[in-house]
Amino acid sequence: MPSPLRSLLKFQESGLLLVILALGVLLTVFAGTVRTPLFERTADGGRQRVFTTGPDGERVPAFVEKNKFLNAQNLAQLAKDTSFTAIMAVGMAVVIIAGGIDLSVGSIYALASVMGAMVLNHYGPEGANNPALGVTLGIGACLGTALLCGLFNGGLIVALRVHPFIITLGAMAILRGIAFVATKGQSVGGFPAGLRDFVRYEMGDGLSVVPLAAMVLVTIAGWIFLSRMAAGRRVYAIGGNELAARFSGIRVERVKLGIYLLSGLTAGIAALLSLGYYGAATSGDGQGYELNVIAAAVVGGASLSGGRGSALGVVLGALIIQMISSGIVILGIDQNYSQIIIGTVVIAAVVLDNFNTWLAKRRLTQAK
Amino acid sequence: MTAFLQFQAITKRFPGVLALDGVGFTVERGTCHALIGENGAGKSTLGKILAGVQTADGGEIRLDGKVITPDSPLAARELGIAMVHQELAFCPNLSVAENLCLGDLPRRAGFVDRAELRKRAKAMLATIGADIDPDVIIGTLSTGREQLVQIAAAVGTGAKVIVMDEPSSSLSAAETAELFRLVRELKSRGITLIYVSHRLEELFALCDNITVLRDGKHVATERIADTTPQRVVTQMIGRELLFATPNHLAKSLGEERLKVASLASPGKFSGIDLSVRAGEIVGVAGIVGAGRSEVVEAIFGLDAAATGYITVKGAALPCGSRDAALAAGLGLVPEDRKRQGLVLGLNNRENTSLAALPALTSLGWVKRATERELAQRYTSRLRVKAPSLETITAGLSGGNQQKIALAKWLARSCDVLLIDEPTRGVDVGAKAEIYQLLDELACEGKALLVVSSELPELIGLCRRIVVMRNGGIAGEVQRADFSEAALMRLMAGVAAA
Repeated sequence: MPSPLRSLLKFQESGLLLVILALGVLLTVFAGTVRTPLFERTADGGRQRVFTTGPDGERVPAFVEKNKFLNAQNLAQLAKDTSFTAIMAVGMAVVIIAGGIDLSVGSIYALASVMGAMVLNHYGPEGANNPALGVTLGIGACLGTALLCGLFNGGLIVALRVHPFIITLGAMAILRGIAFVATKGQSVGGFPAGLRDFVRYEMGDGLSVVPLAAMVLVTIAGWIFLSRMAAGRRVYAIGGNELAARFSGIRVERVKLGIYLLSGLTAGIAALLSLGYYGAATSGDGQGYELNVIAAAVVGGASLSGGRGSALGVVLGALIIQMISSGIVILGIDQNYSQIIIGTVVIAAVVLDNFNTWLAKRRLTQAK
Repeated sequence: MTAFLQFQAITKRFPGVLALDGVGFTVERGTCHALIGENGAGKSTLGKILAGVQTADGGEIRLDGKVITPDSPLAARELGIAMVHQELAFCPNLSVAENLCLGDLPRRAGFVDRAELRKRAKAMLATIGADIDPDVIIGTLSTGREQLVQIAAAVGTGAKVIVMDEPSSSLSAAETAELFRLVRELKSRGITLIYVSHRLEELFALCDNITVLRDGKHVATERIADTTPQRVVTQMIGRELLFATPNHLAKSLGEERLKVASLASPGKFSGIDLSVRAGEIVGVAGIVGAGRSEVVEAIFGLDAAATGYITVKGAALPCGSRDAALAAGLGLVPEDRKRQGLVLGLNNRENTSLAALPALTSLGWVKRATERELAQRYTSRLRVKAPSLETITAGLSGGNQQKIALAKWLARSCDVLLIDEPTRGVDVGAKAEIYQLLDELACEGKALLVVSSELPELIGLCRRIVVMRNGGIAGEVQRADFSEAALMRLMAGVAAA
């Protein structure tokens, strides 16, 4: 085998890349085509339909045949949709690698959105003569709320020594409840235009680069944190063997507090993007996100028993989940089946991973 | 002898260690047969093989002349073999009655028949004369009473052979007396008992025959009446030391590095006074449960309930603060490397640098080149045999894992090392290397406190040995007076013969 290929296969996430590639090929082959009208740019920068001459000399509008999956708009849409879950999944990966779980990310997302929205709304669409201040305070409120939520989770888990499942399950209800009470269940909108213009900035054929760039940055930050920083090493150590980590002088409680702050922060970043993208927030936002985010982390190779996983892996996991749910639309499968399919994929991914671990273990004992 | 139970050439291999090496002997029907040996001699392993908890790699077992293969606890039970375990063998959240009938719950129309359940459990408890309420939750019983339930379960399911693994290790005096009465009672009913223990006086009071194992090999099987405790001790030891006189003994000692005064922890130990000087190796001996590991963990600040005075290099150390202990230059190589010592899923480089991480970090970043160099230096100094620094530690043999667990603290350059069981589950070659390393460390002026269950190890290495018994210090022996017999007598609290 040529060595670059071998080193690619050795690469931890190569399996996920292969799955993504296979899914992409499958979707491209089975998606079929769609006829879309052809446009051209006019001299003054506008768009107008292109016409051709038909067989009987008439002017008829021109169409192009595009693959339903493999076209620029669809891929741009897929990238944007993935970025929200992927950003949160990076924070979740850190928590899961440390042997914890955070069920409250969807609610943190909602509460942070709503708090940010209320501040932005206060400054209004015109920004009360000071849009820069309004947007800055809005961002501060959104991220600050998310960090406070993380502090709430981590603080209670450390102080009460209660399993994170319980604390974050409680937080899931409490935080969404606060969001509901604060907004009286109403949607909050009417923000200074700057934020929306920035987040919705598009390049080329409708590609929203800002959420995508945020996803890339968060992934790189997560990757650096986990693989290059001492704190990341401690996360793996605690998830791998908490007692040995304690015996090695690691301040386990401090690390645990930190990971829930990180998880809160990534939910806050996703919330911020949604504020800009949708221009409004309600307490019902992000319902069920925790499941998508945990599913992305698990499909991406993070082990729920701790000690294993990577930032890049979970982002690829998020992409796989998103490809499947948009694939369901593209292939024209009944939408009602989407939950069944995604659930099956999550279970299959874990079974496959267990099988892989078993294989590795067998190789290890045979090598001896 | 009328052979009831025969072991023939039983062999059991664990990664890196030959736990049993062709062991063969016979057990008579209706006797209490003692199985004795030092830690790691293979006595518990043999008991577990008979009870189907582990399976042998070679050899055969005959029961009443027929070859049997107890490959699971259930298969063993069907053959009439049961085991009474040291630790909890039941579901602690269920009642005595439910646990006793767990394999075959009486049912009526799909519901548990509670009256029948209670009746059966009462009958089982009555056969051994145990006065235990069948409705009590198992978890609330003392270890001694829980053992009685285990015995009732064994007798109730028609066991002909009962293996008892260190049954008295956590019993009070009254409970032990009750256990002895019961053992005699079972014997009179024709039940054969295999009694695994290293408490000599107990075996001589209770058993008919005795088998001594050493390093996985059979040494002797004799009638208790034909032997003496002294003779058994010699049979248990009887091995040459693995190394010559260590070099550190020739050097002069430095200042006092660690001083412990009246250290105590409720329910674990009390009145512990110790001191270790620079360049000195002090041993801590004692049988399992004497409180040795608890003491070193308390010195390392892992016991929040500990009280007393700990002084490191002349400066007082607060009790129960691991961070202060680390800052003072203490390191602890714990007893159980898999559970406490290593993160097995990490690789060798990461495990070696785990305790030294603060020194390898600048602004939160791990200095990778420095880390690799440090890990390389200590893994090669300890001659760790592994494909590379990036090999996952779980894949190494016991000896190499233990070396990594040691390397971790050397990488942090600790001045005072607390080492709990330096060579447990380690093969002979690695043992010699670890001894040599500990000697070198002492020569470099480090202070070492070594806890071990293997007396030859302490006798070979140490300048002084502190002996613990029942959570207190039973005595201290200087090198000139070292002898296994003397130490063992102190450990067991037996007067000199």
